[in-house]
Amino acid sequence: MSDNKDMISKDDMKPDPDYWRSFEELYNDPAFIESSHHEFKEGVTDDFNPGNLSGLSRRKFLALVGASAALAAAGCTNYRDKGDIIPYVHKPEEITLGKPLSYASTCTGCSHACGILVKTREGRPIKIDGNPDNPVSKGKICTKGHADILSLYDPEKLSQPMKRGNGGGLDKTDWVRVDNEIIGILKSAGEKEIAIVTHKIISPTAKKVLDDFKAKYPSVKVYSYELFNEQNRLSTWQKSYGTPNYPLIKWNEAKVIISLESDFLGTEGNKVENTRLYSEGRNVDDLKNFNKLYVVEGNMSLTGMNSDVRIKLRPDAQFEFVMSLIDELRNNSVSSLKTFGSKYAIPPGKLNNLLKDIRENKGKVIVYAGRTLPENVHLAVNYLNELIGGTALYRTDFVEYSVLPLSNKEEIESLVSSMNRGKVAAVIHYDSNPVFHLPADNKYANALKNVPAVITLCLSENESSSVSQYVLPVNHGLESWGDAKIRNGFYSMQQPVIYPIHNSRQKEAILLTWISGKASSYNLDLYHNYMMDNWKNNIYPLLKSKLNFEQFWNGALHDGVVITGNIDLPNVSGQFNSSSFSGINKSSAVSGFVVALKESYSVGDGRYSNNGWLNELPHPVSKIVWDNYASISRKTSKELNVRTNDLIEITSGSRKLTIPVNIQPGCADNTITIELGFGRTNAGTISDGVGFNANILQSKDEGLSSWIITNVEVRKAGGSYPLAATQEFHAFDKGRTKDAAQKRNIIREGTVDEYKKNPDFLKAGSEEVENKSLYPPYDEIKKGVKWAMAVDLNKCLGCGECVISCYSENNIPVVGKEQAAKGRDMQWLRVDRYYSGDPEEPKVSQQLMLCQHCDHAPCENVCPVAATTHSPDGLNQMVYNRCVGTRYCSNNCPYKVRRFNYFNYRDHFNDGYQQSPVFNLIFNPEVTVRSRGVMEKCTFCVQRIMEAREDAIRDERPLKGSDVKTACQEACITTAIHFGDMNDPSSEINKFRNHKLGYYVLEDLNTRPNVTYIAKLRNTDKEDA
Amino acid sequence: MDIDYSKELVQVEGNPPLAELDRVISLPLDQKPNKNFLIAISITSTMLLIGVICVGLTFYYGIGMWGNNQPVGWAFGIINFVFWVGIGHAGTLISAILFLLRQKWRTGIARFAEAMTIFAVICAGLFPIIHTGRPWLAGYLIPYPNDHGLWVNFNSPLVWDVFAVSTYFTVSLVFWYVGLIPDFATLRDRTTDKIKKTLYSIFSMGWRHSNRHWQHYEKAYMILAGLATPLVLSVHTVVSFDFATAVVPGWHTTIFPPYFVAGAIFSGFAMVVTCLVFLRKVFHIEHIITMNHLDNMNKIVLATSMMVGYGYSMELFMAWYSGNHFEQFVFLNRAFGPYAWAYWTMISCNVLIPQLFWIRKIRRSIPVMLFIVVFVNVGMWFERFVIIVTSLHRDFLPSSWRMYTPTLVDLGILLGSFGLFFTLILLFTRTLPVVSMAEVKAVIHGAQPSHDGSNHIQQIGGE
Repeated sequence: MSDNKDMISKDDMKPDPDYWRSFEELYNDPAFIESSHHEFKEGVTDDFNPGNLSGLSRRKFLALVGASAALAAAGCTNYRDKGDIIPYVHKPEEITLGKPLSYASTCTGCSHACGILVKTREGRPIKIDGNPDNPVSKGKICTKGHADILSLYDPEKLSQPMKRGNGGGLDKTDWVRVDNEIIGILKSAGEKEIAIVTHKIISPTAKKVLDDFKAKYPSVKVYSYELFNEQNRLSTWQKSYGTPNYPLIKWNEAKVIISLESDFLGTEGNKVENTRLYSEGRNVDDLKNFNKLYVVEGNMSLTGMNSDVRIKLRPDAQFEFVMSLIDELRNNSVSSLKTFGSKYAIPPGKLNNLLKDIRENKGKVIVYAGRTLPENVHLAVNYLNELIGGTALYRTDFVEYSVLPLSNKEEIESLVSSMNRGKVAAVIHYDSNPVFHLPADNKYANALKNVPAVITLCLSENESSSVSQYVLPVNHGLESWGDAKIRNGFYSMQQPVIYPIHNSRQKEAILLTWISGKASSYNLDLYHNYMMDNWKNNIYPLLKSKLNFEQFWNGALHDGVVITGNIDLPNVSGQFNSSSFSGINKSSAVSGFVVALKESYSVGDGRYSNNGWLNELPHPVSKIVWDNYASISRKTSKELNVRTNDLIEITSGSRKLTIPVNIQPGCADNTITIELGFGRTNAGTISDGVGFNANILQSKDEGLSSWIITNVEVRKAGGSYPLAATQEFHAFDKGRTKDAAQKRNIIREGTVDEYKKNPDFLKAGSEEVENKSLYPPYDEIKKGVKWAMAVDLNKCLGCGECVISCYSENNIPVVGKEQAAKGRDMQWLRVDRYYSGDPEEPKVSQQLMLCQHCDHAPCENVCPVAATTHSPDGLNQMVYNRCVGTRYCSNNCPYKVRRFNYFNYRDHFNDGYQQSPVFNLIFNPEVTVRSRGVMEKCTFCVQRIMEAREDAIRDERPLKGSDVKTACQEACITTAIHFGDMNDPSSEINKFRNHKLGYYVLEDLNTRPNVTYIAKLRNTDKEDA
Repeated sequence: MDIDYSKELVQVEGNPPLAELDRVISLPLDQKPNKNFLIAISITSTMLLIGVICVGLTFYYGIGMWGNNQPVGWAFGIINFVFWVGIGHAGTLISAILFLLRQKWRTGIARFAEAMTIFAVICAGLFPIIHTGRPWLAGYLIPYPNDHGLWVNFNSPLVWDVFAVSTYFTVSLVFWYVGLIPDFATLRDRTTDKIKKTLYSIFSMGWRHSNRHWQHYEKAYMILAGLATPLVLSVHTVVSFDFATAVVPGWHTTIFPPYFVAGAIFSGFAMVVTCLVFLRKVFHIEHIITMNHLDNMNKIVLATSMMVGYGYSMELFMAWYSGNHFEQFVFLNRAFGPYAWAYWTMISCNVLIPQLFWIRKIRRSIPVMLFIVVFVNVGMWFERFVIIVTSLHRDFLPSSWRMYTPTLVDLGILLGSFGLFFTLILLFTRTLPVVSMAEVKAVIHGAQPSHDGSNHIQQIGGE
């Protein structure tokens, strides 16, 4: 512009031919020139006066726009939709989102009080494992312990206190009202008895609560019972040795174990400890201490399955057996055992070997009688152990401790009679279910009608609550405080890991409220404080701890146990009182049918009948799920003219039971074995219609013992009831399928002698499989980690802990009986059971079967969409999102370990029972919940591998095989499962992979599995067979 | 019997005038459907509806509605798939291979057989989709570029199936349509109805029966026949790979490809005979689809029956000869295990009963042949049942053995597939000429020049 100005001054109005934008410019119109000096045209800026503008600054305007937009947005969202993920406002100090926390506690599933570690995620418990610090359970728990987490989230747990209305139904009410009413009842009881009926009390503090309760209400009497108990063993011990403390057994030191009708590895007593100690004697790398297990039993039990020599004998003939054995050993005569053997068709070779082993292993042999056997057998066994030196295996340093002894039969009977006589003001069912559990001829339920106030404290409704006026919800074990004392030398501590889900209360706190006489005295910490006080005043001083109480207390809760040392070791040594043996009733008549009642492997005494995982856990022997049944032998079935699934009617006195039959190989003739705990009524959706209540066969005074009933009549009832099993009932097919597992090299076994003579016997005669394949071999994974598993079949007992642990870890759905019967169970790992040899005296082999993570996986190359692939660390992976569900992989899997979601099982099973909001809390957030139409299978717990890998990366160290423990491995009591990095030459897994007894299943298919099986050695010789 | 083998068999009996041929063949297209047709289609569409409901249930609830389980992951779904693919083999074989082999008798039946092929492949093609656990994701089986870099697994025979079946369907459809063009033109010229005329005009693509058209047409037809011929062999070969490449004993067999192809032709011809027996009767075209046609087809049924029988016996022989005990067990289990009834149904229907076709009288007796071919179809369905179910239900680990029982939904879907097939067939007979008018005219007496002149067209008038 300045140029233009200059131009005007130089030569006036001269056209500029070089460049112009308009004629005005071209001709240098002065008006134009003038206007071009102003930025804005004239008039445009007239109105612009900052003073006239509104006071709104640009900043303020933007702020207002932002705010109104935010308001509008906020106004339009439905802020009631709180979504699913809410961050902590005040983050608890110890919680890191995404990181699990474990709390030590104590299992309340039965009276053995195993130590547990409860894994919680963001405040909700998701898995229960064993607490390694517990001196008894040593980090392991049973199936029921693992499955207890499911009971915590049972949607049918009671949520409110209830009172029976005039119409007979239960009406919801509130605690204050109930407490006031009950306190009134208790106060007005006067002379009349107040009965508390409970399971075994193992908590010293709970016992103190009961004592306080008695002090407040003097007419209180406590009755405790267990459906299965050790009363016969204890009472005979008292007779033989004069002390009530039956010693524990050093199973690990025994060379020969003779188990009489005892399932000490399955359901009996200290199963967890027994199993662990027993399996120490099953180490193939320590053949010197390899034990030999004889089992003499009526029905095939888990212990019987694992025996080296099994003698089938009806339970009522056990006394005769023990007596003839004593006779034989004492008099060195050879006739009595032989006579006995021929009477019960026992192969003489087995009996001769038994005698030989007893004589050769003095001090290393133990005879153990089952708890269901009558007193005279126990007395005789006590004597027999004196005779053969079995007493050397009694443990004197570690003894069971009884906080409160169980009531005997007479006490229960007297309760019933005083109830009938109207002398009982109130009955409190203290988390117990006597209506279901007590023998039918006690007529307990009838007697309750004469009691004005029946109060049931329970987790969920049961048979006893259905005849109660007050039904009060109690906390689950994981919501409760507590302590437990089951042995000398230590206490177990129990702490809640979640706030009570419902409006329930801890059962001890309920009593404390009633003791105080004021409903208002309840608070959440009532029992917590009471327990702390009890410890501070009564137990802590005894321990002479150097810590102050608070430190001590926090440490105790942290560890889950308090080791006290032997300050409380009772006197167990006693002199054998020989008159106890000479005085026993020697008469034994064996005839007709005998019924043996056993504890269920899955649902216990019925407490777990509403637990889907346990109901779906296959019976270790028969593989039947969701039912109990009568086990009978083939010969008996022919005599009764029944087949598996046919109904029979069992009559004992006035008691009758109709139940389906399962023909069990290895069952003694004329012996009917039935498991109890089934046939619950009023116990919930899951347990509805599951099994048959055989408790009704129990009698308070008839029978050899509470669990062995003689003189029963059995007849075919007509009709049938389909039982569902996860393995088909074709065990005895002749010819083609006989011993198929052995012929196919699926099961490979030997004897101890064979292995001693030739450690390479397993490999002898088998050709090396040529590693030829169309595909590049995965053996090339030499760098980094390559995962592998080994299963020691010498140690695997087939109990199923691993299966339940897998349920919990991997969010496996329950499918129900109807689907299980169709063969659609979803378990990722299973225990296969094979019979071989003579169908009447079968040998049993078991095999844990899970995805073998083959290097040449046949499933991988058939999947059309590449939904199953191989990982660089040797895992066979399943990509759920990609899976379209052709099921081709499953067809092509030789191990049949893949599981297909035929339905959305969470929706399909019992009207979406597994989709209820409470149930959903159980899921492990690290594992995808699979929907229908998707294939799934064992992942080697890939989520745990990933977690370990992340930790290793963060700590800047290489990932080691021992950093990962799979859920099944963690659960295995006998440590039969090993897992790790096979590329690490120093690892344990590497040792097993190159073990002389190691083999792969279906090796000749060249699938190159990464699961090695250590062949089972049987401690038998030729004559045993 | 005094057959003069120096003379060709008469393809169209009675020497009808050409116009009469057109009239007879297009008659069903000109008439309103009669009562019998309505009864027939209401039956088949009811069957179809049952199938649709059962598929709906399956889609809604899941494959659990079927009887499949562990270890029998495949059952009715794949049995039906293989069965219908097999049925679909006759059409292409008749139209392509017999065309290349200059078998004149094929002209009368080719059109119908091709239509049957297409309908059977439609039935077959539905099953792989229905049988997946998540059918809405069936598209994953098609290789399409995506930003996940995810491809199908080209190692998997199921992917090969997708290609094989879709190629087969496409080529069959094109082949069928090309064959239909001259007939569309004929129909266009005959009809007076405006709508029909428009439609026929569109589909005939301007065909004017000109010499040039015919020249191109013949060339194109020949090329398509050449393309279709390997497909006849490849489709069922690929289908058999689903089994042959698996490790399952009883599946893992190299004889499967030829044995499956023979079986497919066997069942396909049996189905063609089943339908033609009714078709020629209902539409009064016994002189076009003559007893000689049926006789010829029955001979092929007999021949393929023996091939299939050879396959069965060779499987047994190889099981024994291989010394593989898994293999031996599977075959013993087939013949004497819990599903022995299915095995012996298969053997008697597929190998024993068709032997009756050695007798000429039986080959030419409508009721007996109908009886036999229906049994062949039953037997071929059971063959797939035996292969799939009996192999799977007892494979390697005895612990996993389990019986398979179909459910009502399984049966409903099977019924529905027959409903779909026959509904399509019935609609076809009403909308398109069931016999190729153009081709039949070329094989009537005197249509082609001959060495002795006796077949010359002049003679027709002379008679």
